[in-house]
Amino acid sequence: MLIYLLKRVGLGIVIVVLAVSLLFIMIHMVPGDPARILLGPRATPEMIAHLSFKMGLDQPLFVQILKFFGNLLRGDLGMDVITNRTVADIVFGQLPYTLWLIFTAITGAIIIGIPLGCYSALHRNSIIDRVTGIISVACITAPAFVVALYSLLIFAVWLHWFPAVGAGEKGQFWDQVSHIVMPAFAIGLSWVGYLSRLVRSSMLEVLGDNHIRTARAYGLTESTIVYRYALKLAVLPTVTVIGVGMGFLLSAALFTEIVFSRPGIGKLIFDSISTRNYPVVMGSVLVSTILFVISTTLSDLINAWLDPRIRAAL
Amino acid sequence: MTNLKSRPLTVAGLNRRRFLQTSSSLGIAAATIGATEVVFAGSKKILKVRAYADLRSLDPAFSQGVVDEEIQSSIYSKLIQYKPGREWGYQLDAAESIEQASPTTIKFKLKPGIMFSNGFGEMTAEDVKFSYERILDDALKSTNTPDWGSLKGVTVLNKYEGIIEFSDPYPPAWNIALPYIVGNIVCKKAWLEAGGKVDTTTPCVSGPYLHADWQPKQRTVLKRNPEWHGGIAEFDEIHILPIDDEGSAQIAYESGDLDYTRVPLGAVGSLKDSMPAHSKLEEYPSLFYVWVGMNVENEMLSNENLRKAIQHAIDVPSIMEASYFGAAQPSTGIIAPGLTGNRAQSNVPPGANFKKAKEYLAAAGMSDGVTVTLDVLNKAANVTTAQVIQATCAQVGITIDINLHESGAFWSLGDSSAGERYKDIQLILNRYSMAPDPSYATAWFITSQKGIWNWERFSNAEFDQLETAAKAEVDVSKRDTMYQRMQDIMEDSGAYRFITHEATPVIYSDTIKPAFRPDGLPLFRYFSQS
Repeated sequence: MLIYLLKRVGLGIVIVVLAVSLLFIMIHMVPGDPARILLGPRATPEMIAHLSFKMGLDQPLFVQILKFFGNLLRGDLGMDVITNRTVADIVFGQLPYTLWLIFTAITGAIIIGIPLGCYSALHRNSIIDRVTGIISVACITAPAFVVALYSLLIFAVWLHWFPAVGAGEKGQFWDQVSHIVMPAFAIGLSWVGYLSRLVRSSMLEVLGDNHIRTARAYGLTESTIVYRYALKLAVLPTVTVIGVGMGFLLSAALFTEIVFSRPGIGKLIFDSISTRNYPVVMGSVLVSTILFVISTTLSDLINAWLDPRIRAAL
Repeated sequence: MTNLKSRPLTVAGLNRRRFLQTSSSLGIAAATIGATEVVFAGSKKILKVRAYADLRSLDPAFSQGVVDEEIQSSIYSKLIQYKPGREWGYQLDAAESIEQASPTTIKFKLKPGIMFSNGFGEMTAEDVKFSYERILDDALKSTNTPDWGSLKGVTVLNKYEGIIEFSDPYPPAWNIALPYIVGNIVCKKAWLEAGGKVDTTTPCVSGPYLHADWQPKQRTVLKRNPEWHGGIAEFDEIHILPIDDEGSAQIAYESGDLDYTRVPLGAVGSLKDSMPAHSKLEEYPSLFYVWVGMNVENEMLSNENLRKAIQHAIDVPSIMEASYFGAAQPSTGIIAPGLTGNRAQSNVPPGANFKKAKEYLAAAGMSDGVTVTLDVLNKAANVTTAQVIQATCAQVGITIDINLHESGAFWSLGDSSAGERYKDIQLILNRYSMAPDPSYATAWFITSQKGIWNWERFSNAEFDQLETAAKAEVDVSKRDTMYQRMQDIMEDSGAYRFITHEATPVIYSDTIKPAFRPDGLPLFRYFSQS
């Protein structure tokens, strides 16, 4: 297990280095002088040259990449030349908003989606199963930004149930909760459908397994069989899907943060790319990539913890 | 055992009838409070407004335009401030008196007793001198230096009086310097203690509001400044929310999250038909200018007759309807109505003249048709405008290929230091913002701006001379004529088809009384309760 963990960490580092290097090259290929864009139309050529020097943009690309990783080893993500704040401060100031949003969305989806999937599996081919199936597919096909826009119009403008923009006042928990309901709903809705379909099919497969037949033969109650034995195995694919789905969750968070004008790392990346604020782009993408790697590794480890067969194979 | 059914509701002296009465009263009270809850949130009077971007700097030397200025003008004092209303003008702020003493000097006297917050003492003429002269300091590298034009320096006469001196006459000082970004007065002592410049926090202020908090990407909070020299500021707090999309801002307004916002031009019609409760909509002209530029050094567009054919093939009224939903008017140039230099009419009428366009096309030797590219920033109004241009030009045999760009790529298109792309530009749909002085509009089209912001690579000796002379002309009538002539030259070159100045529609709650510049920009320091 320890060797497996070390392997995953090593692989994670390789992924992060490759992803960030690739992005570094890509954003330098996109047209647009960052110094000129950051300084605006009034900047003189001297000011632009000075800022390029300060940002290290006057150096060859590979030197910039090496410097970035060199600084990273010292825990330095660089400085935002506009606000003179450290990139780490900016990124880690925004990250909790995105994590809180993703956590709320996926928790909501799990709470609704898994029982729905179980219920459908246990009542296979019933009317409720069919209705649930239709609703689930509808949820899966609804893009997050469409759900976001309609929920804004219905729940904020029409019904006035929830606020439309922002993330709530600092230190006011309930205000923050009211601000997260709609964005989390927008992101989580498709996951409700996805998880319910996944759990349904997985559950049906598990319920047909030999060990479940054996459990029934021993006379165990149906609820014990379902909740103690079958569900534990049926949720395994869910854990993997959520881990791998972190990338999708982050991209959905980006759209949602823009629509709801919420602070967060997605909006930070979007704004920074528009203004060619490279240090902030690099810092944000680095943290997002690390987040993705951690979540996939965690999902593998949770799988191993839940399923002794996987653990034995490691 | 008590019979609950027969027992009247008398808890703590409250019977059923009184309970109902109290409930109804509370309900009515709640409903009444609900109507004004945004402004009077809780026990505080909070004004919630939208800005199109987040705060970048609280230092006037590094202010990046309107958003920073909306905040800075609420927390700092200036000698004069823009006067709210429909006509451009100014009113005194920190100055007790101010006058143009000679063509190159402005004499001012500060009001006594203007205090900087945090114990930094009284504002003096030394602070004015420091605030203005630091913008000129090369070492500071302020991007706002051009706003001070030919400023030489400030001579301090005594504690409150001073003379602002220019090397040449500089009339724009009254329009874009003293009442705008570089006119903000900061405290010399505080700034020196802070190392000569500040970022997103400020050591002290002297305006109606204090900068209380900045939550990046979420809000800037201003609080009432109890030491303000102008009296008691209207609101306990102003919350400025950065919402870049106007559509989202409109939704936020309609859901009650904002008291004021600019709304999209496309929403004006529907808002007029169905106005949200307790709301008012106002439309202001804007200072933005939108035009189609043509690269005169491009091999194909160097043909003046082709440029003129394109000018006449573009139907501006159709663009007004399709892209601006009839809420904006065609422009006559780059200088907006209400400003010195605005032309009553353009040389090329707004409506397309296909007959003339075909004649010019024939004169260009391209009667069989021609294909040109149009570079456009990927915003909805721009895309629609480009499509209208494409449709009307097609009627005379000019095929337009539209190239869409995201903002970073678009704004480097004509930059000759960013590669060779500037040579390939043919038509560009462009939009610049400006401050309320004509010099701010014309400055980008002189020969030395070629490859910087003059993407048409337009060059005209008379234009360049006029640009220098008009900036220093103190006679308003002569100045007016000079700027009009400059726009004639631009248009006659065929390199420009002027489209519009757009418009600024704003919506606000009837619980507040907003204050705007004539171009619809909010002056938060003057916002009050209705």
